Amino acid sequence: MSAVLREHVEEQFAEELQELAKSDTRARPPNWKLSPWAVADYLLGRELENGFRVSPKYIGSRRVVETAVATLATDRALLLLGVPGTAKTWVSEHLAAAVSGDSTLVVQGTAGTGEEAIRYGWNYARLLAEGPSMAALVSSPVKHAMEEGKIARVEELTRIPSDVQDALITILSEKTLPVPELNSEIQARKGFNVIATANDRDRGVNELSSALKRRFNTVVLPLPETVEEEVEIVRFRVEEIGRALELPAEPPALEEIRRVVTIFRELREGKTADGKTKLKSPTATLSPAEAISVINNGLAMAAHFGDGRLTAHDLASSVVGAVVKDPVQDRTVWREYLETVVKERAGWKDLYRACREV
Amino acid sequence: MSVTVFGIRHHGPGSARSLARALRESQPDAVLIEGPPDADDLLALAARGSMRPPVALLVYPPDEPKRAAFFPFAEFSPEWQAIRYALGNEVPVRFMDLPQAVQLALPQPSEAQADAETESPPATLRHDPLRLIAEATGHGDGELWWEQMVEQRRDGRDLFAALLELMAALREGTAKDVTSADEREALREAHMRQTIRRAEREGFRRIAAVCGAWHAPALSRTTSSEREDAALLKGLPRRKVAATWAPWTNGRLTYRSGYGAGVESPGYYQHLWSAPSEVTVSWMARVAQLLRGEDMDASSASVIEAVRLAEALAAMRGRAVPGLPELNDATRAVLCLGDDTPLRLVAEKLIVGETLGEVPEETPGSPLQQDLSRAQKRLRLPPEASDRILDLDLRRPNDLERSRLLHRLRLLGVHWGRVERARGKGTFKEVWRLRWEPGLTVALIEAGAWGNTVHDAATAFALEQAARTQELPGLTALVEQTLLADLAEAVGGVVARLQEVATLSDDVPHAMDALAPLASVLRYGSVRQTETRLVRTVVDGLITRVAIGLPDTCASLNDEAAEEMYPRLLAVNGAVVTLEDEGHSGLWHSTLERMADQRQLHGLIAGRCCRILFDRGLLTAEEASTKVGLALSHAGEPEQAARWVDGFLRGSGLVLLHNSALWEILDGWVTSLGPDLFTQLLPLLRRTFSTFTAPERRQMGERARKGPAAHAIGSSAAHDADADIDVARADRVLPLCARLLGIELAD
Repeated sequence: MSAVLREHVEEQFAEELQELAKSDTRARPPNWKLSPWAVADYLLGRELENGFRVSPKYIGSRRVVETAVATLATDRALLLLGVPGTAKTWVSEHLAAAVSGDSTLVVQGTAGTGEEAIRYGWNYARLLAEGPSMAALVSSPVKHAMEEGKIARVEELTRIPSDVQDALITILSEKTLPVPELNSEIQARKGFNVIATANDRDRGVNELSSALKRRFNTVVLPLPETVEEEVEIVRFRVEEIGRALELPAEPPALEEIRRVVTIFRELREGKTADGKTKLKSPTATLSPAEAISVINNGLAMAAHFGDGRLTAHDLASSVVGAVVKDPVQDRTVWREYLETVVKERAGWKDLYRACREV
Repeated sequence: MSVTVFGIRHHGPGSARSLARALRESQPDAVLIEGPPDADDLLALAARGSMRPPVALLVYPPDEPKRAAFFPFAEFSPEWQAIRYALGNEVPVRFMDLPQAVQLALPQPSEAQADAETESPPATLRHDPLRLIAEATGHGDGELWWEQMVEQRRDGRDLFAALLELMAALREGTAKDVTSADEREALREAHMRQTIRRAEREGFRRIAAVCGAWHAPALSRTTSSEREDAALLKGLPRRKVAATWAPWTNGRLTYRSGYGAGVESPGYYQHLWSAPSEVTVSWMARVAQLLRGEDMDASSASVIEAVRLAEALAAMRGRAVPGLPELNDATRAVLCLGDDTPLRLVAEKLIVGETLGEVPEETPGSPLQQDLSRAQKRLRLPPEASDRILDLDLRRPNDLERSRLLHRLRLLGVHWGRVERARGKGTFKEVWRLRWEPGLTVALIEAGAWGNTVHDAATAFALEQAARTQELPGLTALVEQTLLADLAEAVGGVVARLQEVATLSDDVPHAMDALAPLASVLRYGSVRQTETRLVRTVVDGLITRVAIGLPDTCASLNDEAAEEMYPRLLAVNGAVVTLEDEGHSGLWHSTLERMADQRQLHGLIAGRCCRILFDRGLLTAEEASTKVGLALSHAGEPEQAARWVDGFLRGSGLVLLHNSALWEILDGWVTSLGPDLFTQLLPLLRRTFSTFTAPERRQMGERARKGPAAHAIGSSAAHDADADIDVARADRVLPLCARLLGIELAD
């Protein structure tokens, strides 16, 4: 056990990567640690011929992972899109770890991300002392990746100001990083590529210019397809977080998780689980991540103010809080849902009453 | 003398290409095709220039066209290529399947059974064995398998011999389980063998038999002797059938019909057929063109990347050439920026395609025309070129059926009759003006695309119409029409759609407009004997939504908007009263109560809410007085108060005559108005009072003249009037009243 809070994935799953590399006999693109097939297997999980089990990192559609890996193999940059809480960063981290054995070359996109985070900065002491030279450059993660033929990751691409985003265009299309000050350039080694993640809902923040968009292959990470899948994800995470917070409450009944997940799914998809009735959708995202936080909140309520057992009452206020983000529009949506769906559903009377009181 | 059996894949462009080549090489002198011999006479029409696939052969019993069997042909169907080859080279061509005349006379497997069969593996194996083999070898699509295993080898006829062997092995493996469908299959194969034997006897030397790959091994003469086959086919029932060509669409090729083999991607197959080389590149180019046409970015650079990604994906999935799934994934990631919406467009326009076939004019009449003429005969309603008034009493079954027929035709755009008088007092009367014009025949043929009987066509049309309509009012009208036309299946679909649109619509006024007609549909449902339970669920939903949304919708209305809202409010209230449902009334009244107390609500609406509650007995006279007092208090703006009075009193002032407290408040308010304000508000008040009946106004006038003191003497107006009655004159009216009421006068 290491003392750090969270290890890099290439360390955490080092054994799996090693085993995969051993049994991987297919052709590897230059500078790749694994073949594309093995990368896909690493993400989706598989039992190897020697009996070693590779755990699944991404639970969902095989098509998505295959498209992502094939994109990287054709040296096109990959853009992972999705609503918050759909494992974009998680997937990009594992892809980088599997392809180049290094998930640490990251640019975290914020409104304050400057060009030097993507290209290079200057070591001014050296610049003043020795004049401009390659040695006076301060590398960015992207420049590192280019020099070493690795994968660079850009998180939250759409939060980066547009002019800074566009610094990526030359890097992606010509695979070179010009250094006009030195009348020179840095050419990427084979194996270099970029994985960017962006939030679906935030497209408006700093939308990608069409020139940049054209240089990415876009893969949308979907929300979980079935209730079972989502309940499983939520249950797993809630237990993990619950252990970390050391809450004195009982682990939540599967039934309560299922109810919250059902409510979120129904509102998100705009129709009831049986597909018979259409519903209005609220402005909130209602991703699995939100369901996790609602259940955790309810657990905390139950532990500190209730009898330690998670009841509809403990959940009601955080469910309403998660759904009603816009006080006017969402409230109507929620009331309609409450009156037309929750009220009628067998066994949901307690939840209906609890929600009405909020 | 030789017979060559060509086992093909229905609607497989690869098969079609191989078959066409094999036919050219082997030069047969007769071509036999798996298809209905009932339609042999129509085959010649296929050679006409005006015949453009996709088309379908329709074989139907004239007395029950609903059970028609369809045999669709696309340009890339091997059968179509065989027909065209035979007609082009003047080689006799015939169908050899068991005639539909027999198949339609045999007992039909029940619906449930049929469903179960289509899902069981042997059935799929029978319909498209090559697809299963393709999937087993990791090709995903039968076409892909054919492309790789067959096309790239280019070895003509031997290929069909190899296929024959493959199928024979397959059939041996699955021969054990015998179901009722298998018996039918045995009959069909026996008939095909017999047809081949007959052709041999007629002296043809080189016979080509084209059939689904599954049947191919069974067609060899050694499978069973002629005598056995003849015995099997002996004494089968027959019924009369008619056949015709019908124009078909690519969309309909996707259904399982006729052969039971629908294709999921006719547009893509057409592409495979017409662009045999560079499939991936030319497909991506077409996708890009389509997207550009819809104003989406799709540069040549992106097309190149899409092709590269498709090829990389194919490699990852262990396929030599990208198939449709790889093409779609690449299109989504590169050209659609991860978005599924443009991909749906691609699916609709390219993968399925929108091609509409054409048939020559000489094609015999359509089943829909025949269905209508039968209905006309049965209902004694012959088409006449002159106007004819038809007075229907819907309580009589025959008239009810006539009305349904006319409504269905109207729905289909065949305007044979017009309703003369809209819904009058009696709900069981309907008056039509009929006139048959020649143009209606054309409309009828057009409507034939929707179905083979008036009922089916109208149902399909209504459902399609519902799917296209986005607005509540249009859908409400459609619900009414489908109910009038008594299309039980369509009602379900249209109402479901209505439900859907109603849920998503934020437009409370539209929902309110929809309520009244639907409520009346519920009321008239019993006369028309239609299923209205479905409508009730929609009405329930609509009332709930209106009740929740109305307060916000009415939050800030100007005079004009309030005037528009006013009749809607009344209509919804009327609907709630009509339906007499306690749940509805409760919800509705609590909404009204909320609105009556809502600040900033337009006076007209607030006043009316109060009035409705008062009329329904939910406000006592005292509470009502308090509300009126509040509304008219000096704190508020006088205009707003006048509007409130308008809303409260419009239509009937009786409440003022019966409730002296109210009268006093109003009287006090009017008296307290300053001269200027009075002049300003007078038109508004006058308009309100002009809606009262004359006697009401007279009594109010009298009471106003007497002044406030008058109330101390007599509290009710009726009581006041007592004194003036001339008893002797009143008595003279009594005998007539008694006769009208049908009672004996005591005296």
